[in-house]
Amino acid sequence: MDVYLSVEGLEKTFKDKKVLHHISFEVRKGEIMAILGPNGAGKSTTIRNIMGIQYPDAGKIVFHGHGGNGIPRHKIGYLPEERGLYKNAKVMDILLYLADLKDYPVKKAKERALAYLKKFDLEGKEQMKMEELSKGMAQKVQFISAILHEPELLILDEPFSGLDPVSQELFKEEIRNLAKQGTAILLSSHQMNLVEEICDRLFMIQRGQKVIYGTLDEVKTEYANFKCTIRGNNDASRLERIPDVQRVEQKEDVSVLYLTKSVNPARWLKNLPEDLDIRELAMDRISLHEIFLDVATDRRMLLAEEKEKLQEAGEIDA
Amino acid sequence: MRNTMKVARWEIKRNLKNKTFIFSLFLTPALMVVFGILGSLSGGGAEDETQAMKIYVNDGLGVFESLEETADRYHLPLRLFRTDVKEADVGKELAKREKAAFLFADERAFSEGVLPLYTGDDFPDAAISQIQMLTEPVKFLQLQRLGLTDEQLAVVTKPISVQPMRADEGAQSPERNKDGGEAAAMKKAVPGIFAGVILLCIIFSGMMIFQSASQEKKDKIAEILLSSVTPNELMQGKIVGYFVLGLIQVAVFIAFGISFVLWKTDFPLFRYLFVPELLLFLLIAVLGYLLFAALFVGIGATMSDISTAGNFQGLVIMLPFIPLFFIGPVSADPSGTLAQVLTYVPFTSPVILLLRLVLLDEWRWMEIVLSLAVLAASVWLFMKLAGKIFKTGILLYGKNATPKEIWKWIRA
Repeated sequence: MDVYLSVEGLEKTFKDKKVLHHISFEVRKGEIMAILGPNGAGKSTTIRNIMGIQYPDAGKIVFHGHGGNGIPRHKIGYLPEERGLYKNAKVMDILLYLADLKDYPVKKAKERALAYLKKFDLEGKEQMKMEELSKGMAQKVQFISAILHEPELLILDEPFSGLDPVSQELFKEEIRNLAKQGTAILLSSHQMNLVEEICDRLFMIQRGQKVIYGTLDEVKTEYANFKCTIRGNNDASRLERIPDVQRVEQKEDVSVLYLTKSVNPARWLKNLPEDLDIRELAMDRISLHEIFLDVATDRRMLLAEEKEKLQEAGEIDA
Repeated sequence: MRNTMKVARWEIKRNLKNKTFIFSLFLTPALMVVFGILGSLSGGGAEDETQAMKIYVNDGLGVFESLEETADRYHLPLRLFRTDVKEADVGKELAKREKAAFLFADERAFSEGVLPLYTGDDFPDAAISQIQMLTEPVKFLQLQRLGLTDEQLAVVTKPISVQPMRADEGAQSPERNKDGGEAAAMKKAVPGIFAGVILLCIIFSGMMIFQSASQEKKDKIAEILLSSVTPNELMQGKIVGYFVLGLIQVAVFIAFGISFVLWKTDFPLFRYLFVPELLLFLLIAVLGYLLFAALFVGIGATMSDISTAGNFQGLVIMLPFIPLFFIGPVSADPSGTLAQVLTYVPFTSPVILLLRLVLLDEWRWMEIVLSLAVLAASVWLFMKLAGKIFKTGILLYGKNATPKEIWKWIRA
């Protein structure tokens, strides 16, 4: 897949606080790339720097195939995190104005707007004023305004926030469609379950620093170790002694056993002690959500640091 | 530039589709006309009264046409009729008529220096002084009979009046009265008032820029727009758009005003309006607009709601109205020190300069050029500052900027 956008070594400081530390990633045509991270991690700042709304202190942002200079604004669709539209203007007027600002032909814009309004269950609402629409409807109009001009790159900052499940599905499907048609898509979110379902690659960011970057599969193999959930009365210390168990979390009679990366699930299951109290057993990988929680609460970082310390200590001992 | 025009078009269209805007567009001039009509209705009674004054002229000198001309020229509220009624019958005739008078223009004018006038009891005394004006053509006839040439006549009949003068204007203005003081004053006053109306209208539409900028901040649209246009294009688009909206307001105003003036009076408006001075006045008005527009768009970007304006923003919003406080003192002494100083202060100069140019008979071009230069320079400076403030402020959703922050953006 062709690279559409490269971000290289982005640095940004607000006052005396560094909010972006050497952020680098790429967005390719036809893929959905997600920037994930907790609130305040630097997602929106990264996006605003790409859009030229803020300027990085260091680093390079390159749009390939556009001479490398400047932002091809007309080829980008942008849905900011904080968004709204003129309250006292009509839906169609706003859509046509925003398309016109992108130099998109009016006639085509009108046809597409009507088609999308129909698709998003807003048929016949084009002459209504924004203030007459519900919040969900307004968000759909905002989404349409970002994709109306057939952008080559679509940047969506928290596209799912505040949406009901039905609208979320609608947005997800449309985002997938656009990617299939070759649009490069960069989206940010803190809703892991939604992102996990649609993104091809992800960039996880915490406190302005890269934590994880790779394809969804890579990330899962690399970070999403197997975990085994057992319902039954078992002693935590006993469970911890089972080979390949990293840690155990227990809540009442449910124990979650986090396994090491190198574990062979089939062999591990076969070798479970026979006298364990197992009323239910489930084996799956840690979800993105859990990785994210780890990241957000710094647990993973702490673990990694501990591991490093242990290794260092081991090396010294050796 | 294209994007600027797109933004401008949108602002114009959006407002013209807005009922509130349309309403206010026509409300003010409509109110003016309504009050004008009410005024003329109540004043109209008096006019009818005087209009009913009929002067029957027994013309023994052949001056009836000249008398009518004179009455016309001075807008005297009289209607002249020829009559053959003899002086002996006047009493009977007056009894038959309301508000009538009989004037006898005959040789007595030259021999005794009187034009006998017989009036009824209901004839207003005040009107007699107006009828006095009718002696002018009779006097002219008298001089003509003495064998004066036309030039001599012109010299003799030219009235001499006392003219208040300033010592420092002195002797260099002897030709000021060449085409009549009143006409010259009108030539300045009418375009001056016209430019004043324009300035006022576009300052008000400048206030709408403020609304528009803070609305975009409040409704969080700015970031979406800035993904398509640069902050400067957005800002300039607003300034151009509201300039046109201001002109539309002016056009409505003027259309109402002109048709009202033409309908109600026979004032030769266009002759006084379209003079070269108008261009200078318009230039001042446009520069004034640009200055205040820059101010408003910049300050609008620092706050999401006018009701949450801090002291600092409130102060800036008041700036365009400062000159109004000085209109009194400056009118009283248009070449005084205060007037001169205010001419060079950016925020007062458009209004004060306009006012002084209308009031002063002698224009000091150095002052005008200097004042325009100051104005142009401040327009440039404030546009720059507004650009810097706008760029950052418009994206700072849901928060009013403090003067300290604004200062930081300016220096950035």
